Amino acid sequence: MIQMEASISGSSSPTHPKWRKVVYGGMQPGFGDNHTDESFLEEMIMNANVVKRDLLKVVLDAVSISQYLCIVALVVLVWTYTLTNTLTEKYLLLLNVSLLGSGFFILLLTADMIPFNLLLNYLLKNTFFITALYMLSPIYHTLTRSISSNSIWALTASLLILHLFLHNYSGSTVKAPGALDNPTLTSNISLNASIVASLLISSRLPSRLHVFAIVLFSLQVFLFAPLVTYCVKKRSFKLHICFSLQLLVLTLVFTYQLHKLLFIVLLGIFVFVNLVCPYWLIRIQEYKFEINGPWDEAKLCFNITE
Amino acid sequence: MGEPEKHRILMVSDFFYPNFGGVENHIYYLSQCLIKEGHKVVVMTHAYQNRSGVRYMTNGLKVYYVPWKPFLMQNTLPTFFGTLSITRTILIREKISLVHGHQAFSTLCHEALMHARTMGYKVVFTDHSLYGFSDVGSIHMNKVLQFTLADVTQAICVSHTSKENTVLRSGLPPEKVYVIPNAVDTAMFTPAPERLSRDEIVIVVISRLVYRKGADLLVEVIPEVCRLHPNVRFIVGGDGPKRVRLEEMREKHSLQDRVDMLGAVPHAKVRSVLITGHIFLNSSLTEAFCIAILEAASCGLLTVSTRVGGVPEVLPDDMVVLAAPDPTTMVHAITRAIYMLPQIDPQDMHNRMKKLYSWPDVARRTEIVYNRALKCSNPPLLDRLSRYLTCGTWAGKIFCIVMIVNFLLWHLLQLWKPDKDIEVVPDIQLPKSQHEETPLGSRKEENL
Repeated sequence: MIQMEASISGSSSPTHPKWRKVVYGGMQPGFGDNHTDESFLEEMIMNANVVKRDLLKVVLDAVSISQYLCIVALVVLVWTYTLTNTLTEKYLLLLNVSLLGSGFFILLLTADMIPFNLLLNYLLKNTFFITALYMLSPIYHTLTRSISSNSIWALTASLLILHLFLHNYSGSTVKAPGALDNPTLTSNISLNASIVASLLISSRLPSRLHVFAIVLFSLQVFLFAPLVTYCVKKRSFKLHICFSLQLLVLTLVFTYQLHKLLFIVLLGIFVFVNLVCPYWLIRIQEYKFEINGPWDEAKLCFNITE
Repeated sequence: MGEPEKHRILMVSDFFYPNFGGVENHIYYLSQCLIKEGHKVVVMTHAYQNRSGVRYMTNGLKVYYVPWKPFLMQNTLPTFFGTLSITRTILIREKISLVHGHQAFSTLCHEALMHARTMGYKVVFTDHSLYGFSDVGSIHMNKVLQFTLADVTQAICVSHTSKENTVLRSGLPPEKVYVIPNAVDTAMFTPAPERLSRDEIVIVVISRLVYRKGADLLVEVIPEVCRLHPNVRFIVGGDGPKRVRLEEMREKHSLQDRVDMLGAVPHAKVRSVLITGHIFLNSSLTEAFCIAILEAASCGLLTVSTRVGGVPEVLPDDMVVLAAPDPTTMVHAITRAIYMLPQIDPQDMHNRMKKLYSWPDVARRTEIVYNRALKCSNPPLLDRLSRYLTCGTWAGKIFCIVMIVNFLLWHLLQLWKPDKDIEVVPDIQLPKSQHEETPLGSRKEENL
């Protein structure tokens, strides 16, 4: 205790010891408690984890988003055509079969190898699923009869917007065989929103076969389109871009035929998503300000297996 | 230091006895030492279960348990203006000259400091913890801290790393921030009367078993150390969500006879656990100061710790072995510590700790801060508002509105219940003989 007091009052000692970044041993002789050394904030690191982004790469990455927007727009187009009876149930079923066939075909082509057993399993499950859907379609047909059509449109539109907002654009909620990570909560909510939207729409259709065809179609697209596009993207990025451009042209042509204003809105969205947003992201990078230092919580360098 | 000026201090924090931790300890010991120096200290905290109202602790330390219910982790619900009336009453009743708030995530502390500033009192704030800058919780907390510290007279941090952190978070000028560490009651944490034999080396861990205290690190480190050193035994004191993982580890590597799990250790029993070991292991992932290390060192244990936050500043290099928070380096550090053991004399370690840390020293240094705070000028509300405006485009305006409303409410209160109507508490002079050289450790409490 006496020594410490001596060290407090002993600030007049001729040789000033160097200030040390320690807290033991009482107040450091010659320095007040509020002394700020030159080494203050020396260990602060700024913007250590900031990634330099390339505009072209961001634009190309944004293609995945507009591709999915196209897919959803095409689904909505099919719904509209079916509701206006432009598309009969026969064509719709044909569309379903061809979609299912081409989907499997693409999966087979892109995945390196799918064991025969797994494929058989897939086919069996699909058959069960389609049969169940066929049996349930009378229920879906009359499910929301008592709700006014306006409410149904409004609800469907908002559910689709929710779906688009929460959709996982970088992967697929339905996992490719062998995938380890689980889908997140938001992507599950998104998937459910899309399924509810298609069920709501189907109840406005004239016949049970219509209902069956449209629900099957929507489920096929919403469940498996992300998986297929994901596989394509993994296989070849060029193919992914080509595929997306084709989808884009297809969507725009069909929308143009349906409604001019809708076409303009859609075109605007595509320009915004693919050109404006990437440019914006690059621009706001300069405002990025990240601070790291010894006060940060240490990160564990191993995985915690609960 | 000049003329011995006697202050009347109000300590405010959500965290106080019967809750237990670093902040609670700090407030208690600091208050005790300040009382010994002849100052008057009053503590204000929220009610703990049925402990509500005014209580007296050792040496006449008066504690106001404000009947305000905690809602999360012993924090009170933020109400902004809810505590104005009671804070004002306490400030006037006790003729307080200075308000000292503790801990950045104590809502009560933030509110009381705001009211004290509104009423023109000088305020000092002590920050006991570190915060990052990246997650949503930290960003929000940092804004709140910025608000409180915008107009604080002086601030205190417990380590230099903590000071850097606080300056960055709050934008205070660094010369307004003091570094005054915690201390340890060396009279309470004495080494074992007889030296333990080194045939079997015992490593003690006492911490809450949660992620932030590095319980996952322990799960990796303990089996490896047991494999490398067949004469090592672990004693793990503490409870928490990660206890299950530790027990799993023990089963998996069949270490039941070499790893003792004690469960939660009450603070009064910490010493008796510490003195059964040779090495103290701290695996925290973030720590502003770490009192546990001091307690262990005071009991004569060699410490092995992760090199995080303020930990490297706490002990001289020959009393602690530091390692990066990953299992391999931790195991290396423990091995090094085991080889260092023969040179460690617990009694010598304890005597050195006595010189390095003491609460009276902390209190004296805090007094200097109080003196400086009281010498600061007190600008009018309008000048102070401009400080809040600089806190952010939107936040600044919101802060200003909050302060103006608080100011108006204070004047309304003055009209409704004038200052002179509030009864002033007479000072009770305790018999001096009782607390001349009593150790601070024995904490007694009388209900009134």
